[in-house]
Amino acid sequence: MNFLSRLKPSGREGSLGLILIVTIAITGIINPRFLTGDGTRDLFTSTAVVALLAIGMAPIIIMRHIDLSVASTVGLTAWFIADLCAKHPEFTWVQCFIIGPIIGMVVGVLNGLLVAGLRLPSLVVTLGTLYIVRGAVYVISNSVDYNAQEMPPSLLDLGQKVYFGIMPFTFLLVIFAMLITAWFMKYRKAGRDCYAIGSNPHAADLVGIKVFRRTFLAFVFSGAMSGLAGVFYLMRFAQVDSTAFYGQELAVVAAAVIGGVTIAGGSGTTVGATIGALLVQTIQGGLAAIGVDAFWKSAINGLLLIVAIYADRTLARKSENALLAQRIKERA
Amino acid sequence: MAQKGDLLLQMKGVQKRFGGAIALRGTDLSIRAGEIHALLGENGAGKSTMLKILAGVHVNDGGTISLGDKPFTTGSPQASIEQGIAVIYQEPSLFLDLTLAENVFIGRQPMKGVAIDWAQAQNEAARLFAELGVPLDPKRQARGLSIADQQVVEIAKALSMNANIILMDEPTAALSASEVERLMTVMKSLKAANKAVIFVSHRLDEVFAISDYITVMRDGATVSENPVGGTDLQKVIKEMVGRELTELFPKTENKIGDVALEIKDLTNPAYFRNISFTVRHGEIVALAGLVGSGRSEVARAIFGIDKYTTGSVKVNGKDLAKGSPVAAMAEKIALVPEDRRQQGLFMIAGVDRNISMESFDRIKGKIFLNFKKERALTETWREKLSIKYAAPSNPVESLSGGNQQKTVLAKWLATDPDILIVDEPTRGIDVGTKAEVHKLINAAAGEGKAVLMISSELPEVLGMADRIIVMREGHQVAELSRKEATQEKVIAAATTGSKGA
Repeated sequence: MNFLSRLKPSGREGSLGLILIVTIAITGIINPRFLTGDGTRDLFTSTAVVALLAIGMAPIIIMRHIDLSVASTVGLTAWFIADLCAKHPEFTWVQCFIIGPIIGMVVGVLNGLLVAGLRLPSLVVTLGTLYIVRGAVYVISNSVDYNAQEMPPSLLDLGQKVYFGIMPFTFLLVIFAMLITAWFMKYRKAGRDCYAIGSNPHAADLVGIKVFRRTFLAFVFSGAMSGLAGVFYLMRFAQVDSTAFYGQELAVVAAAVIGGVTIAGGSGTTVGATIGALLVQTIQGGLAAIGVDAFWKSAINGLLLIVAIYADRTLARKSENALLAQRIKERA
Repeated sequence: MAQKGDLLLQMKGVQKRFGGAIALRGTDLSIRAGEIHALLGENGAGKSTMLKILAGVHVNDGGTISLGDKPFTTGSPQASIEQGIAVIYQEPSLFLDLTLAENVFIGRQPMKGVAIDWAQAQNEAARLFAELGVPLDPKRQARGLSIADQQVVEIAKALSMNANIILMDEPTAALSASEVERLMTVMKSLKAANKAVIFVSHRLDEVFAISDYITVMRDGATVSENPVGGTDLQKVIKEMVGRELTELFPKTENKIGDVALEIKDLTNPAYFRNISFTVRHGEIVALAGLVGSGRSEVARAIFGIDKYTTGSVKVNGKDLAKGSPVAAMAEKIALVPEDRRQQGLFMIAGVDRNISMESFDRIKGKIFLNFKKERALTETWREKLSIKYAAPSNPVESLSGGNQQKTVLAKWLATDPDILIVDEPTRGIDVGTKAEVHKLINAAAGEGKAVLMISSELPEVLGMADRIIVMREGHQVAELSRKEATQEKVIAAATTGSKGA
């Protein structure tokens, strides 16, 4: 508990958590099934992939960059692992958990070299790798799909594993990743450097921060998380084709931004990003519960994003005013 | 720990060029422990380049730099920091999203085991702030801090890394009088701790009040280095300016008519106060002063880009609505802004489109714009100003700086203004084009236009203007006629506010 309290979420995460609880409560009132063990477990299961990606993306957005290639990387890893497992029946979950992050890191290294090494804008670079990686999946998959029977039973079992009736194995790992990353971002110099780079890239150079190394490693980390998310994808759906997770990268950005990771860089936490992912999923679930047509799903997601940005701006302006007021008071 | 008087830094014959331009052609500087050393010079004399070499941002091409008895290792900001050199830039470079404690210790946070010890960082920062006599809250965010307090954070950072040479690039430029006083107290305490402070400033009164040594630079070279007792204001000013007024200005005596523009008590408390002057038809009035003295802001307020709080602007005796460039243009005022790339031109649009931009009335047909008329208009101004370009549709960004400047001038002259305001009309253009621009401005005055010219180049001011208004820190400190104006008088007024000199 001491460890948790030291990671004490700032006001932002606190209020987000509150919003999440209220949203869950409202959804629960409309559809009591939502509050049952099964409902909660479903929420966690369906959020795990996006939440993991949002945790990987958070440091990048904090550094004023973006990684749009994550969804394609999930597709690539998921298909590749399924393919390997089909050819090597002796593979268990262990190989999957090793190979997944490695494949993701290859994409991350590519992104990192282009963004940090050549100083190209990450928006364009990762848009490029989004298409390249997806294209690669189309080519190498050659329209071959894989189903549960080709996958290691130990992996699928792990995907079904639930602790305390509500906590799936995958989401437990998400929480683990969230806490480690949150600790790293707060208590390691490298983590603080990310905030500094996003807050003022020019000044970061002047105070001698290793901008190349930090940026590069952030993309490699995001790649590794995407690779792991590819494994999670298989565990959840037990099938994969070349269009797996197609177009979901913006849902990840949305989750992080809704979770208070500022798109302009310099602030946000992985705890917030995770809560953001849960919030998006809860609202989706709630809307389904009250019978809103699935076609409205993306429209409502977009609305949520705009509301989040607006709230973010308002809060930022408020705190800026408060800081100015403090300055005037200190002067007096 | 260095003893007072120990030689901490010695630069000998340091050179630096950027492409073809020579920024430093052999600069010498010696700094001792426990001394405040002022570095003076006009804009472009090479002071900032020198600071940036010491900061590790630039690498010198020639000459030697030694720190004590060791050679200085150039190359990266990190290397300079490790050698005990801290730089406080003109614009503090803090991380606004981070706390003050973190800003002080970024990259050097105290650790407890594998984790950053935030409590210690905060205590240590609080101690440094107290030492500097400014009790800031180390846990607050840097956002919202005044420039003066941001500098205090930067100085605390310098102290925390045990820097013994602290460079300050125009630290007082943005400070109020009481903040300047506080900074001076801090500088004296640094001096008492046997640190060396190198301090760039244009405010000569402050320089004489606090420095132990004064080094004057001009055109990339050191002109003199003297203890403060061994020189005086007049001498320093002469050394800064150096050159004789040799460039020829084609000043013509124009017929001066009625008052065209009358500014009265114009005030915007953030930038300028009680500015009053007139410009007559056929007259060129120069607004002189240091960069940041509020000259451009006055021009922007007249033209209506910014608002002013009190005062009035009259054009030919009629009040001009404030805050409306459209109203200003309707009264035939034109403003050629100082930054042609950002404010004066549409860089990727063609020369023709840029020149016709403010003259749509002249080139429009019944419904659509008439591009034949646009071409004719462009051709007229190309001839008048001898603008050089391959084709009228070439983007302006492909033109040389001088031709770009002529294009901005053409754009505004095409509106046939009565009142022409030009802000730094010859910045960054070569000597030949400069003379052409001067000729154009003179010709405009000859046609009876009232010209208000802002310029940081003294020869230009003295050569062109019928009258010179000098501003300092937002105040109008002197008005000199063409006859009585000298370089020394203008500099003295701009830097110390004194009118006599």
